Amino acid sequence: MGADPFIETGEDMDEDMTRGHHASLDARRQLDEEEQSPEEIAKNLSRRYAHRAAVRYTGDMNEIPQRLLMPSVQDSSLWQVRVKPGRERDIVFSLMRKALDVEFTAKPLNIHSAFQRDSLPGMIYVEARSSKQVSEACAGLVGVYPSRGIHLVPIEEMASLLQIKKQEQTVTPGSWVRIRRGKYSGDLAQVMDITDTGEDVGLKFIPRIDLNPRDDAVLDGKKRKKAATANTTMRPPQRLFNYEEVAKVYGRKYVTRRNDVYVFQNDTYRNGFVEKDFKISALILEDVNPTLDEITQFTRRQDGEGENPVDLSIIAEASRKAAVSVLQPGDHVEVFEGEQAGVHGVVEEINQDVVTISAVGVDIEGQKIEIPARSVRKRFKPGDHVKVMTGQNADETGLVVSVTDNIVTFLSDMSMQEVSVFSKDLREAAEVGSGLNVVGNYELHDLVQLDAQTVGVIFKTERDSFRVLDQNGQIRLVQPHQISMRRDSNRAVATDRDGHEIRINDNMKEAEGEGRKGRILHIYQSFYAFLHNRDITENGGVFVTRTRSLISVAPKGNLIKPGADLSKMNPALMQPTGGMVGSGNMGRGPKDRHIGTTVVVVKGPHKGYVGTIKDTNGNIARVELRTANKLIMIDKEKLYRRLPDGKLEALDKPGGGRGGGYGPGGGRTSNPYANNGGGFAPPTGGRTPFANTGRTPNPYASNEGRTPAWNVSSRTPNPYADGGKTPAWNASSRTPNPYADGGKTPAWNAGSRTPNPYASGGGASSTWGGATPGRNVAPTGGSAWGGATPGRTNAAWGTNDGWTSPRNTGWVAESTPWSAPTPAAAPTPATAATPAFNSGPTPAPMHTPGPAAARTPAYWPGHSAPTPFTNFNYTTNTNSSEYVLDEDWMFESIVANYLNRIKVQVQDTRRDNYKDGIHEGRTGFIRSAHRTQGGYTQEVIVVFDDASSEETLEAKYVKPIEALRNGEEALAMDGPNEVKGRAVLLRANADSDMVEVSPKGDSSVYEVSKTALLALYEQK
Amino acid sequence: MSAPIPQQARSKTLRACLLCSIVLTPADFRKNGCPNCEEIMQLKGSPDRIATCTTTSFDGVISVISPENSWVARWQRTSNYVRGIYAVQVKGRIPEDVEAELENRGIKYRPRDQTDQD
Repeated sequence: MGADPFIETGEDMDEDMTRGHHASLDARRQLDEEEQSPEEIAKNLSRRYAHRAAVRYTGDMNEIPQRLLMPSVQDSSLWQVRVKPGRERDIVFSLMRKALDVEFTAKPLNIHSAFQRDSLPGMIYVEARSSKQVSEACAGLVGVYPSRGIHLVPIEEMASLLQIKKQEQTVTPGSWVRIRRGKYSGDLAQVMDITDTGEDVGLKFIPRIDLNPRDDAVLDGKKRKKAATANTTMRPPQRLFNYEEVAKVYGRKYVTRRNDVYVFQNDTYRNGFVEKDFKISALILEDVNPTLDEITQFTRRQDGEGENPVDLSIIAEASRKAAVSVLQPGDHVEVFEGEQAGVHGVVEEINQDVVTISAVGVDIEGQKIEIPARSVRKRFKPGDHVKVMTGQNADETGLVVSVTDNIVTFLSDMSMQEVSVFSKDLREAAEVGSGLNVVGNYELHDLVQLDAQTVGVIFKTERDSFRVLDQNGQIRLVQPHQISMRRDSNRAVATDRDGHEIRINDNMKEAEGEGRKGRILHIYQSFYAFLHNRDITENGGVFVTRTRSLISVAPKGNLIKPGADLSKMNPALMQPTGGMVGSGNMGRGPKDRHIGTTVVVVKGPHKGYVGTIKDTNGNIARVELRTANKLIMIDKEKLYRRLPDGKLEALDKPGGGRGGGYGPGGGRTSNPYANNGGGFAPPTGGRTPFANTGRTPNPYASNEGRTPAWNVSSRTPNPYADGGKTPAWNASSRTPNPYADGGKTPAWNAGSRTPNPYASGGGASSTWGGATPGRNVAPTGGSAWGGATPGRTNAAWGTNDGWTSPRNTGWVAESTPWSAPTPAAAPTPATAATPAFNSGPTPAPMHTPGPAAARTPAYWPGHSAPTPFTNFNYTTNTNSSEYVLDEDWMFESIVANYLNRIKVQVQDTRRDNYKDGIHEGRTGFIRSAHRTQGGYTQEVIVVFDDASSEETLEAKYVKPIEALRNGEEALAMDGPNEVKGRAVLLRANADSDMVEVSPKGDSSVYEVSKTALLALYEQK
Repeated sequence: MSAPIPQQARSKTLRACLLCSIVLTPADFRKNGCPNCEEIMQLKGSPDRIATCTTTSFDGVISVISPENSWVARWQRTSNYVRGIYAVQVKGRIPEDVEAELENRGIKYRPRDQTDQD
């Protein structure tokens, strides 16, 4: 390898020479120092380094243009590091200290710099070659989150990070500011002067001097501070400084006068205003928006003094600026000042203070003109539809009726009144109405409670009131304070006409009437539905209808099956259900009737265990096992009821009430009379089957056709969805349905041939519905209802097709006579099977709608006689305490004493051709009645009036005669305890349903259902 | 060579030099003057000068750890200055006398408020 050509060869040659030169200099200095005294040396040194600290400022880098300093790829990179917000500056400082600390250790930090910007909270930027160096540098610092990523800043963004400009806050003397905090917070102030640094601003504003200070505060300087803090809640009013006033309150020595200013409590007052320096950070510089009131407060005084008039041009300027800022491309503007005054056009472009407009006019059409924004104003012409953007009338819309300079008058869409506003506050807008849908706490389409009975839906909001459509379809104008509360119906559920569940936001259609469609806004009491449809102009598209008249636009198919009874979900509705069981929990909270039942687990790991149902939730039961005191959750299907005798039966089996509330049958008997206490309950076993043997002219007994009735009744859960009403009522109100569409079964078709009122479709519903409650409220009826419920519930609600199963059929036999009182079961065959009652002149039994329905002509084939019950006006049966006799009435214990006196009549024998019907209509009394056990026909011996002959007749054909006349003696089968089972005298109202009676030998008056009064022969 | 690092990062009293943008406590300024431009600013021991030549209104702080190698320092034109804490932006201008002195020396004054960027 030869000599490197790039190395100057001459260097070797020079080296010796320079070295020699240095050596000579060195030697000379050494010589000098040795000659000098130490003092001199020290002096020299100090002289030499005296100005060392004050390095001459050269500003050597200032000449370089900034763009040449842009980062290049050779420069190290910037890394963004996430830190705890608010700790950015501390972390940057910490990095600096850390760098200095570890500088000379084995592991110095390899970062070049770190910085933070106030406008970028939560992050710092570190300059380093690699992210590893950054994470090393950040390790151990609190508040740094390297785990959230150390991100490389792209090279082109590096410079902009340092160029972010802080929002400029500049004030000029004379401008208006507001004071941010303290005693004067929010007060308007005028800038007097600004310090050079721009930090402090001299302000002039109206003082707030406390002219009612606490006494001690005046005297004691120390306490004054306290008083000041105590007064922060109630700050003194703004009031110009008045020497006399202040001196009077605080004393003259506290107010000093210097030339034309007063000094009081370290503040300077000039011309009534206080002059004070504030830090610029303590001032609000933007959106000051001084009101005219505030400014006149400043001017009033000054005008009087004739000095320094307030510069209104500043306000004018501010409003001009505002005017500029509201311009938008597309606005119609006109030039109102300057050379181009009068030109108008459409704003094309806005560039700060210059707008480019496309002129509109004959000769300058389409010309682009640049105009200072302050010289244009928005242009409106009569007929334009405008909206107010700002100010007092914000959000009003209306039609422009006149334009005068920059004042536009329009007719408000909302109030139908003329409103005048500045054109700068207007915009052309197509929308109508206030954009504001909220007034107070209430919003458009809220369901609001107006009074105890009335709710409504807000369909229109006005400036300070609402238009509300109430549930009765009436429109009300209400103020927010008239609304007692907003109701939430988000969870409300109702059923539509088809029994489908409907909820809020479902799209529904009216099935009748106008057939309006809409989306459900609210459901009230499961009965009223408020719907909304944009296409309807009336009432803002809101209308109210009954849920029962709605059908789904798109059927959801979630038909409420009989099994999914809503009443289980709704505690309010569970209560009556529980009450119906007659188990004493009437009026208490929801309770499943299985609760408390002793059960045996028949499936699963706990098979064979005995326990008690503690709670149920839908199909799941919580069972407390006898062993181990353990609670298990188990499907009800796996549970069988354990009867006291050890036998098992399905939990759903009808007749199973809790606690064996159904008499000796251990809950197996569904005969309510067993539970009735009223004495109507002789054991009925075996008797009822007769009703089913086919001898009874019951269309349902041998007819599958009874099923419809039951199917219909099995829909009874629906009524419960209505909520808030008693189930009895609901049930009955529902009952019409089956009859309305009774044409389903042959039996019903047949029925429709007779003048049966029930065949008259929907028209029957009201009378029908009305009749039922009466029965339910009647004491006996009530218990009958209760007694019937388990059976009904189990059969009809539990299993949909339960009726085809033998078990349920059996139940029919058992419970038939008394299932009638349940509204759903009203049309049951059992009641129907009392033809004797029905055909008899005694109307009492006829009240049961059931028999009426059952009395289908199927059993009157060829019989020309009108069916007796058609004679009845069912509307009269609305009596609330109607009493219904059963066909075994003569065996009741309370009858026994009066048996020989009760007037009876033979009825229905002709219909059944019993004994050729020869005794039909004969009256008499029962000589003897004995219940025969073992399933035989019950027979009685009747002594007829006319011939005094005796005849043995089937009990069911022997009907009592109702007492009809005032003064007549009768046996009260029902009523208050004082009269029940006793002979009474009819006092009054013999024609009405409730008859006033008195017990014999007593003058007190009681009311008894007419049907419960059996006419008596005079005592022999 | 490095400038003192203020103890309290969040202190409202921290002041930035209007000329070189270094951030120090007023006490540091009074004791040692500005470490970079004391020669022209004459802050040492003079609270009045400190009040006019430094300011509390600045935005963003930079830890300049290695001025020679840092692009940030070069961008901020503090490469030749001591290590320390610098402000990114300093609001305000130096007093007129200092500005005149700079002009005499033929030095271009660049305000630290990023009003003129070239």
